[in-house]
Amino acid sequence: MYVGQPIRRREDVRFLTGRGLFVDDVQMTQPIAHAAFLRSPHAHAKIRSIKTERARGLPGVLTVLTGADWVRQGHGEADGVWPVNDRSGKPARTVNRPFICVDNVVRCVGEIVAMVVAEDRHQALDACEAIEVDYEPLPANVVTAKALDAGTPLVHPKFGTNEVLETYHGNKAVVDEAFKKAHHITKLEVPTNRVTASPIEPRAYMGHYDPLNDRYTVWTTHQAPHIVRQYFTRSLHIPEHKLRVVAPDVGGGFGMKLYHYPEEPLVLWGAIETERPVKWTGTRSECLMGDTHARDHYTVGEMAFDKGGKILAMRFKTLAAFGAYESQWQASITNAYHFTMLSLAYDIPGIFTQVKGVYTNCTPVDAYRGAGRPETVYQVERLIENGAKEMGIDPFELRQKNAIPPEKIPYTTAIGITYDSGDPPELFRKMKKLCNYEALREEQKKLRAQGICMGIGICGFFDMAGAGPVKMMNDLGAKIGCYDVASVRVHPSGKITVFAGSHSHGQSHATTWTQIAADRLGIPIEDIELVEGDTDRVPFGIGTWGSRSLSTAGVAVAVAAGRVIEKAKKLAAHMLECAPSDLVIENGQFIVKGTDKKIAFAEVSNAAYHSGDRPKGLEIGLEETAFYDPTDCTYPSAVHLCVVIVDPETGHVKLRNYWSVDDVGRVINPMVFEGQVHGGCTQGIGQALMEECAYDPSSGQYLSGTFMDYAIPHATDIPMFGVESHVTLTPSNPLGAKGGGESGTIAAPACISNGVIDALYHFGIRQITQPMTPKKIWRAIQDAKAGR
Amino acid sequence: MYAFNYHRPASVAEAVKILKASSDGRCLAGGMSLIPTMKHRLSSSSDLIDLNGIKELSYIRREGDQLVIGALARHVEIADSAEVKKSIPALAALAGGVGDPQVRNRGTFCGSLCFADPAADCPAGLVGLNGTVITDKRRIAADQFFEGLYETALEKGEIVTGVSFPIPEKAGWAKFANLASRYAIVAVMVAKTGGTARVAVTGAKASVFRVAEMEAALAKNFSAAALDGIKVSSAGMNGDLHGDPDYRANLVSVMAKRAVQAS
Ligand SMILES: Cc1cc2nc3c(=O)[nH]c(=O)nc-3n(C[C@H](O)[C@H](O)[C@H](O)COP(=O)(O)OP(=O)(O)OC[C@H]3O[C@@H](n4cnc5c(N)ncnc54)[C@H](O)[C@@H]3O)c2cc1C
Repeated sequence: MYVGQPIRRREDVRFLTGRGLFVDDVQMTQPIAHAAFLRSPHAHAKIRSIKTERARGLPGVLTVLTGADWVRQGHGEADGVWPVNDRSGKPARTVNRPFICVDNVVRCVGEIVAMVVAEDRHQALDACEAIEVDYEPLPANVVTAKALDAGTPLVHPKFGTNEVLETYHGNKAVVDEAFKKAHHITKLEVPTNRVTASPIEPRAYMGHYDPLNDRYTVWTTHQAPHIVRQYFTRSLHIPEHKLRVVAPDVGGGFGMKLYHYPEEPLVLWGAIETERPVKWTGTRSECLMGDTHARDHYTVGEMAFDKGGKILAMRFKTLAAFGAYESQWQASITNAYHFTMLSLAYDIPGIFTQVKGVYTNCTPVDAYRGAGRPETVYQVERLIENGAKEMGIDPFELRQKNAIPPEKIPYTTAIGITYDSGDPPELFRKMKKLCNYEALREEQKKLRAQGICMGIGICGFFDMAGAGPVKMMNDLGAKIGCYDVASVRVHPSGKITVFAGSHSHGQSHATTWTQIAADRLGIPIEDIELVEGDTDRVPFGIGTWGSRSLSTAGVAVAVAAGRVIEKAKKLAAHMLECAPSDLVIENGQFIVKGTDKKIAFAEVSNAAYHSGDRPKGLEIGLEETAFYDPTDCTYPSAVHLCVVIVDPETGHVKLRNYWSVDDVGRVINPMVFEGQVHGGCTQGIGQALMEECAYDPSSGQYLSGTFMDYAIPHATDIPMFGVESHVTLTPSNPLGAKGGGESGTIAAPACISNGVIDALYHFGIRQITQPMTPKKIWRAIQDAKAGR
Repeated sequence: MYAFNYHRPASVAEAVKILKASSDGRCLAGGMSLIPTMKHRLSSSSDLIDLNGIKELSYIRREGDQLVIGALARHVEIADSAEVKKSIPALAALAGGVGDPQVRNRGTFCGSLCFADPAADCPAGLVGLNGTVITDKRRIAADQFFEGLYETALEKGEIVTGVSFPIPEKAGWAKFANLASRYAIVAVMVAKTGGTARVAVTGAKASVFRVAEMEAALAKNFSAAALDGIKVSSAGMNGDLHGDPDYRANLVSVMAKRAVQAS
């Protein structure tokens, strides 16, 4: 068995030796031309004029294109993959993110105003500087909490408001009743900071048009090549059968590389105009500014408890920033992933939430690892933590008291989502042992007496992963079908190529998908190879996002491999003169049970292609494709706990310990799973302690344009993680796998915030918003000491 | 990046000649400050004079009662040098805390002095340790070297060849790093020599500065307790995403004490 083994990553040889093939590495026989973009320096401005003559005359310049050219040529826009939906009955106020400014108003810093294509990058940049744009700056609105206040500048004046949509969910009557009879109510402002994924590989695209064959090719840093191919039919109106999209090695996506970004159709447009391959690789600054940002929710919440610490109900009001335009998947957060998971790991009878999407003059917001759930867990877990402290109940105990008992699972939350499997009390019990909770509390007391501020942070949650089934996701607003696809092609010699509609940009599919296939096929993993990320080679695919690949594409691999084996067994039985049910497959051999009669897999596969002696009706060839639509989403759950030491003199937080107990169902490769938890937690640590896409509130200028100002964790900021798992299988797919890609980003922000507040509660500190930077923590301590 | 002419001289004399002949030339040492500004198109030069071919600038040695460091000594070499660790361990600590390993592998102490970044560590090292900058034509005392934000006493066409330090009885370094850049939000070098003490602060203002009140207190009693109650005013201090002036003023007091404790 390969499944369950910590097999080394088969892709690591090329990655660890620096020999992957990323978009920027792709070479062509024809010399590659380079695109550069002139971007708005203003958060909000009217464009009076654009003069490109001087730029056109500079050395090496092949073309200069603006929004006027885009409109003149009749090109289109990218509408929502997950469009907004207003539950209050108002029309949704959609303005799609433009590829290039077409209406002479720029609405966020970094919006593209013109594109230059030149022989080399430096010439293209020189020409950008030579374009003269006459801007009339307009007042900007960059503060989410104030977006709907009277007098706030409007991003899209035609709507008369900055509100994009309103949505609400839950059982309001139950909630209102519960608050009336509550023994204790905790109320808190729980905003979530604006961050961005910042993968190691910046976004990059290359477009090519071959006029002889009338074929288009795009190389792209993308998580879902087939989806983006379809969106090219809307941006540049390219017939789907004439376009090949290749997403080669991609250095991290995290949801952020899931959209039809402006630069993507623009480079292909440039290629069509110049009949040259055209490439653009984003600089770090362009990416920090132009990659979708994430989170940025302003939320106020209340939680009602009974005397014993049972949570009776909770209610929230959220303003969810959209940024200047609606990005393609933004409503997967506001209309699907955010509100659905509010119950976390707890049995809470009453939940009500109202969410208003708002436009601000900032970079568009979209999904980033966790998409909506980091916000959810943060807002609920902060209330639980403070509630427990206010009532004088140990916060771990209060959570255990409210954890959904296994006998109640399947459990339908007050929001209406049904968790199909899991055992939260067991996760808490395991955690208590793992971290030695009582000893930690003792240590905390001892250290506090010495003036050392130690804090313990806890959180528990359920995730909704594995996007699918198609119908459920359609009902939640997805316009794309959420299933996935795999083909298993057995070559005559018995070697196998697996094609999958998922895309690995760090997830290790070349290892884990072949582990699954090898077990199903009963042949060595070395005989199997995986192909992903090329629309000309892979039949179709919905791509990798939302911790879905394993429970959709991974299961499709298992299903297709199962079909291959069924067929191969028929042929093998025919060759061995037995019944298919008499056969077992082991180590590349079909063996007749209880005998020494056997035949090699390779002999059978050869016969499948070349032998006329087949059972009646059995088709030639050995290749199967499965389009797999799961029966439900998956519901991974986890409990995380951390220890922080806060330096009260400087406000610095040292994260001393971090433990997790995750239930992700069947684990295909424990090493890969652990890596996913480590990576996710690290990004969550960044969100909690340092990351922030900051805007100057008065000018709207973007302040986090380089890594000198946008802080991400360094290896030295990260403790050794203690990762454990507790497996309950999901009934929703034959592997029983739930998906473990997002647990860290979902849990760590809440967990660490609770830890920091726990460390400082004795100063009278009740809340510090994220990121909890040293300056903010120090200020909170000063304010608390001064009684402010 | 804008186009420029590239030179790689083999001696200081040759470098000076090329620099003087250029219309707007600049030296290139580790490139850890200069290259990023060029990449961002924030600076341009007619000529880049790459000093990395000048062997005579790569040294760290003890000369009598002075520790002398050549213009091409990298942060990592200073941090790892047995001579530095023996003579002025606080200087090794400073160099070992600059940026990250990649930056330390290329960046130079003298390049940092020439760039005079308000958040750089090395200026506090020079001033706190009362060093002397050696150029192709003169010696400049620490207190005369820095003239403000990115401003030094160097003249056009002048090349730094090294820096020398007297050996203090005691010195200590404490840095509070910016989580993003790992430059100093505030860092302090303290040193005691005979009956005098120096306290040099970087990161807090446009340029490195000394704190007279702390120096007086430490001259009498070189201990962290001597600094109790000494507050510095936040007037004129930097305010940015990572810290407002009050926060930086607080850090000056905290880091000064920790520097003394580290000495
Ligand atoms: C990510 C990052 C983090 C960093 N963190 C820190 C930090 O924590 N603390 C810190 O102090 N610094 C930090 N630095 C800066 C680093 O220390 C640089 O190495 C240093 O500031 C400049 O030295 P250099 O040799 O790289 O000089 P260069 O970049 O080559 O040159 C800098 C300037 O000095 C001039 N110059 C260089 N040498 C001479 C010379 N001999 N004579 C005349 N002029 C000269 C150049 O013309 C140029 O104007 C960081 C840099 C980066 C990129």
